Amino acid sequence: MTGVQLESVCKFYGDFRATEDVNLTIANGEFLVLLGPSGCGKTTTLRMVAGFVEPTRGSIRIGNVDVTHLPPWKRSTGLVFQSYALFPHLTVHQNVAFGLEMRKVPKSEISEKVMTALQMVRLDHLGERYPRQLSGGQQQRVALARALAFRPDVLLLDEPLSNLDAKLRHEVRVEIRNLQQRLGITTVMVTHDQEEALTMADRLVVMNEGRIQQVGSQRDLYDRPQSQFVASFVGRSSFLNGRAGGARFVTAGGLPVVIDSRLEGEAVIALRPERITLANAPLADTPNNLPGEVEFVSYMGNLIDVHVRLNQHDHVIAQIVNRDDTNVPAVKDRVFVSWAPSSSVFAK
Amino acid sequence: MSADAPQRSAALTATTLLGPATFVAALGVIGPMLYLLRYSFNQYDPRELMIETFTLKNYQAFFTNSYFLDAYLTTLRVGLFATAVCLVFGFPLAYVLARSTSRYKNLMIIAVVVPLFVGNAVRAAGWMSFLGSRGLLSVTLMNLGITSGPTDFMYSEGTVILGIIAVNLPYMVLSLQSVLEGINRNLEEAAYSMGARPLTMFRRILLPLALPGVAAGAILTFILAMNAYATPVLLGGPSFRMMAPLVYGQFQLNNWPAAAAIAFILMLTTLLLTMVVSAITRQKFRVT
Repeated sequence: MTGVQLESVCKFYGDFRATEDVNLTIANGEFLVLLGPSGCGKTTTLRMVAGFVEPTRGSIRIGNVDVTHLPPWKRSTGLVFQSYALFPHLTVHQNVAFGLEMRKVPKSEISEKVMTALQMVRLDHLGERYPRQLSGGQQQRVALARALAFRPDVLLLDEPLSNLDAKLRHEVRVEIRNLQQRLGITTVMVTHDQEEALTMADRLVVMNEGRIQQVGSQRDLYDRPQSQFVASFVGRSSFLNGRAGGARFVTAGGLPVVIDSRLEGEAVIALRPERITLANAPLADTPNNLPGEVEFVSYMGNLIDVHVRLNQHDHVIAQIVNRDDTNVPAVKDRVFVSWAPSSSVFAK
Repeated sequence: MSADAPQRSAALTATTLLGPATFVAALGVIGPMLYLLRYSFNQYDPRELMIETFTLKNYQAFFTNSYFLDAYLTTLRVGLFATAVCLVFGFPLAYVLARSTSRYKNLMIIAVVVPLFVGNAVRAAGWMSFLGSRGLLSVTLMNLGITSGPTDFMYSEGTVILGIIAVNLPYMVLSLQSVLEGINRNLEEAAYSMGARPLTMFRRILLPLALPGVAAGAILTFILAMNAYATPVLLGGPSFRMMAPLVYGQFQLNNWPAAAAIAFILMLTTLLLTMVVSAITRQKFRVT
């Protein structure tokens, strides 16, 4: 069992709090993604697990070992960097062999283990090449093989796909996920790309300003965001500010809205664009059925965003699917929007 | 024809840019050097000073005379030792500078360069007032009761090496720093994460990648050390002999052929060792 455990981990640089009170338990074999904007503390957290940053407070365990104050070379973590970080003066084979040599694997076994690792990423035919003779995608796959060759306890991925172009990104993404599942290796990945995060992770951690905002599955984060930050960072939302009280909500522009929440006082409603229904006439028996004027239409091919202004203060975005029979509204059209009372509401 | 025009103007631009420097170098360096080379095959005569001829006697005389050979070996020893010390001291300093993210980084680099603002003679005077028998070090040792009388630390090979190191260290640090800065820090971290201890990481990753900087710094400081003039004269004293002062001494004696021969021996030795170093690094850093 080699899970990872972070217990109230803090890292302060003078007055700057890079991470504060980070508590995480990563199960054996789990693929956990740390997601957040730049400067949110996700990279610092990863570097603390790797051993490059020593926490100001708190403790980190890998498996049953407290590694909080252990230098990186005494931990067993495989690292993959955004910059690939292959040793330019060594061949692909020598790069992958490096970790095995450091771990004193007998010489006779090294070559075989290197081949196995390179086969995992289908690059066993390029062992004699130097890194700069490979494409970006190939380099990152070598980096992955190098990180896995010595069978580390934990695989750490620091924005591993950010330097690749869109098509390669999809390929390498699938490759990493397949390998991770096949080997059953505990993995922590850092990314600011939510699509990457959603498609790869078993579980996600959304961070902001050094703190964990929410931990959960894709569905937890998307359907049940616990804060306005998560609602805006994972997926898209349009927000209505106002006051809540007794299952009712009055927007800043004075519109009455039905909500499921028992919240009282200043609050904000988060509406997912695809959960808003758009109609030409008021719909019967639908709560939250409000008139508005189309302000802007954004055509994205398969989907169309319709920005609807309800009044001077309130504005929502509805997303409709572009079908043969879709009636695409035009700017200045009068339309009706509606949504379910179960939409997320947060206190301000 | 019109397709040739840009090409021709590019050639013209290159000529304009390279011309002046090439002219000065050809006129000011290569010309006199060839002249000097010719002199080195002439014969010295106490009355006529120089007789036009073609002889290898000056070179022969150098390698058979223990006075000259002694200076030659001293110069080699001082040059190699000073370069080695500069490398050992310079690498950590250059590494810290290269990896620094401090906002005072530029100030630190200036601090490394500042010693070069002082001329070699002035610097030597500083060393004299520090290391002389009535200098700061001697007096301090007496006052502390460690020595009973004044001690003269001047006029030894060690003092000369110390002086040369002080001059050459900035060159070494700057050469190394520029190369180290280009080595992605993630490479070091990758090595650590795979289980390499710092010394292993240094030996297997950092040093091989920094080799071009090591070579550049070593060659630069070695050339400077081999050709040092003011430092050996002022800190080494009258009985300490290195090649550059020796050349000048022969000129003063009006023995131009001998001076020219010694100058060329010094130059060829430096050139040869430099070529060896760059050949070794090129071979080690064979990245295709």
